[in-house]
Amino acid sequence: MKLITDNLSPELPGFFQDLTSTPKLEIPELSRRQFFKVSGITGGGLVIGLALGTGSNKAKAQSAAADATSTLSPYVQIQPNGRINIFSKNPECGQGIKTGLPLIIADELDCAWEDVDVVQADIDASKYGAQFAGGSLSTPMNWMAMRQAGATGRAMILAAAAQQLNIPLTELSTSNTKVVHATSGREWGYGEFAELAATMPVPDAASLTLKTKDQFTLMGKRFTGVDNHDIVTGKPLFGADTRLDGMLFASYTKCPQIGGRALSFNESHIKSLRGVVDAFILDEFGNPKMFNPGGGDMFSGVAIVAESTWAALKAKRELEIEWDLSNAEVSSWSEIVERAYAMKDEDGEPLMTTSRGPNGPTTVPASKGDAEAVLQNAATVVSGFYEYPYVSHAQLEPETCTALYQNGNVEIWAPAQIPQSGESGSAVLLGIPAEEAAQRVVLHQTRIGGGFGRKLANDYVFEVVAIARRMEGRPVLLQWTREDDMGGDYFRPGGFHSYTAGLDSVGNLTAWQDHFFTSTGNDTAPMTSADLNPNVFPKDVIDNVKLSQTMFHNAIPTGPMRAPASNAFAFSFQGFMHELAIASGKSHVDFLLDTLGDPRLANPENPQSMHTGRAANVISEVARISGYEQGASEPGRAKGLSFYFCHSGYVAQVADVSVNANKEVKIHKVWAVGDFGFIHNLSGAENQMEGGIIDGISQLFNAKITFENGIIQQQNFHQYPLLRMPQAPELEVSFLEPEEFSPTGGGEPSMPPVLAAVTNAIYNATGDRIRKMPLFELGYKLV
Amino acid sequence: MATLNINGQTMDIGEIDPSTPLLWVLRDELGLVGTKYGCGIAQCGACTVHMNGAPVRSCQIPVGNLTDQQITTIEGLAAADGTLTPVQEAWVELDVPQCGYCQAGQIMSATALLNNNQNPSDADIDAAMSGNICRCATYSRIRQAIKDAAAKMNGTAFYDAAQTGEIA
Repeated sequence: MKLITDNLSPELPGFFQDLTSTPKLEIPELSRRQFFKVSGITGGGLVIGLALGTGSNKAKAQSAAADATSTLSPYVQIQPNGRINIFSKNPECGQGIKTGLPLIIADELDCAWEDVDVVQADIDASKYGAQFAGGSLSTPMNWMAMRQAGATGRAMILAAAAQQLNIPLTELSTSNTKVVHATSGREWGYGEFAELAATMPVPDAASLTLKTKDQFTLMGKRFTGVDNHDIVTGKPLFGADTRLDGMLFASYTKCPQIGGRALSFNESHIKSLRGVVDAFILDEFGNPKMFNPGGGDMFSGVAIVAESTWAALKAKRELEIEWDLSNAEVSSWSEIVERAYAMKDEDGEPLMTTSRGPNGPTTVPASKGDAEAVLQNAATVVSGFYEYPYVSHAQLEPETCTALYQNGNVEIWAPAQIPQSGESGSAVLLGIPAEEAAQRVVLHQTRIGGGFGRKLANDYVFEVVAIARRMEGRPVLLQWTREDDMGGDYFRPGGFHSYTAGLDSVGNLTAWQDHFFTSTGNDTAPMTSADLNPNVFPKDVIDNVKLSQTMFHNAIPTGPMRAPASNAFAFSFQGFMHELAIASGKSHVDFLLDTLGDPRLANPENPQSMHTGRAANVISEVARISGYEQGASEPGRAKGLSFYFCHSGYVAQVADVSVNANKEVKIHKVWAVGDFGFIHNLSGAENQMEGGIIDGISQLFNAKITFENGIIQQQNFHQYPLLRMPQAPELEVSFLEPEEFSPTGGGEPSMPPVLAAVTNAIYNATGDRIRKMPLFELGYKLV
Repeated sequence: MATLNINGQTMDIGEIDPSTPLLWVLRDELGLVGTKYGCGIAQCGACTVHMNGAPVRSCQIPVGNLTDQQITTIEGLAAADGTLTPVQEAWVELDVPQCGYCQAGQIMSATALLNNNQNPSDADIDAAMSGNICRCATYSRIRQAIKDAAAKMNGTAFYDAAQTGEIA
């Protein structure tokens, strides 16, 4: 198999850029020998706070017992009983990476999967490089390093076996966690050579022989999650499950009008309440309206620290807080909608984009060709104005984190998607110099009860660190309520697109114009995840594109949500593409394939740009397996098609939808075909696709956050309904796995296409063109 | 001193504020953290436990109201020797969990359904499971896992709801 190792997404958000140096597998001798002692990690996965001297006696005992474990690298240990510990470096938030990365190592290590114990690695950039869950990057960024980690371990075991057995290395091979001597028919478990293997020189990465695809014994099959057993038996896994001796529980209450600062509160009453230990105001730090995972930024508020979660939450209800609103947000979504619609036929400011040339990044116009001239001469011109709202992540685990502050140092237990930024930001907040941060701030990663991008932000980590500093010596668990979460998100930003496009006399797309309306907090650039990428299909494959932008001042906090930007663009771009297909007189499939043209990279200079051939293949395949055809299959029932490319993944989806006279929509089935390159855990990829489709349908129909005068209007699931079991359609998921491409991530590209697949199906069934999300506001109801 | 009957054991919960929801007693006082907090208003079902065999939202039940009730939590499903119930087994084998946060509540709802109805239709599953949100949207696997568990159970209930939380 030819392997493309540099598979990063072209739309990599800025905040990832300092994290994305592809990790090199470097295993310095010192690091290797010290590994166990420093990290204090045992085969049972218990993480001990040895760095700060806070480990429990039980943990220390386990640590001592595990000293017989042989450490080959930060990724591989051999237990005395011959079982293999494989360390999973990145946070697990439901994307399956705790299973996926160790599986890659295990295959190259030539282990039987049942001989492997997966251990969540601690946070340590010196051993693991960047550790984060975002951008569908965990698999592509680590694919080669994980293979090398496995092959390194295998080479060291073989070298040790050759020496210990006094058999030439060339006569030895491996299979299923065993060293095999084919000539004599003898075999030995890896454990027999563990001690010696741990002393072997680490082979140079260039000397390693990686498996070819036909030699994979594990990868390519279905593997179930390594934590499944613990999940179904209710074991402590998640952030809020952290329990420490002497622990206190905290609530934190911020201003409903975002950015207001606490001046005073009914302190004596709150402190008199049962179970309350302390209550105090915390100041704002940094500029928390802006998404900044590593800055220590947090809003002002009132902390209540209590002997139990309930005491903290019950007292929270009795808070009376006086706020300084001088820096609070005053924006209202209703006003923004009004202004955008009033300007829909006007031009915006020319959109600029960053071009990364040989002389570094430069700012250049995002438009190309001469869209205006081509539109004037077009045989057909089509226009459409599309709207989509702010959306909350609504991950089921509300923000929660535990911190212990002692002697100027802090230890943190966090369900964080960028835990390393949680560490660095905590150091900033506490005034710890960056060079001392690695020693004085220790963060242990827990399983994340849903991320979807919300826990890329570390605001809740910084809040509990600030609270714990006031409660020195006592561990404090901060528990946000659902209301705290929904009113205090870094939301998916809302926006508008005013499209005009031209078709020539044979129905080919020749020009594309988009006036994009978005929000800005600094009047210079859009808010996070609120910018328009000029490479979105079909702009990347046509010659005449005019892009302009209008920014409204509005600093309601925004941040990445699953498939940032794409989670809204797919709705409007691919809905409008269907409008164009109808106007062209071609079938939707033919219109998409004709627009894609010959198989090539959309941008020949960018190997990460969309490959039109891979795009065409998923479209053709989903049309084939779904029996897609334009028009209603029976009155009120039709299929709709959509395609989207993002995060290096290609996905086409078809929805089969019925609509009755009451605008009740039943989605019978959704077919999905993805191309994420080679798929090493089929169950994981299928799970991401299945979840992505239903996530998209849920948002399409019901998800909308509004704000008036800076106050979020929705507080809990009764005002922000999520899709439930009866509404979930049948799903059929399959993948194309072109030989020459190594894996990319499926978490994000799986979600966007379904938005337009459903609205295009509703058009095909009823003739109603939907240009606004969510659909409940148009009278539609998902049943 | 107050006591509760949880997973077949009498547990001492000390002098506790009687308004405390069962959810927080389980999590903070008894260390049974498998039951999750998701919304606090009985909308998401993450806190589902059994009271006398029936699924209830533990975030809504003040502990002061609990007298002589048999409570079963996710920790009480598997047998003492660790043997999983057919529902738990099906969940593992079908790789249902993504993030996993809601799954304790889902399993408690599914277990209650199958305890009363060993051959549920799709409509039965819809009705029994509609109180449980899965934000990762694992619904199609949950549906299949319930059917797989029903097949494993082969017509046998988990326990008699009138009895005391004994798991078959």
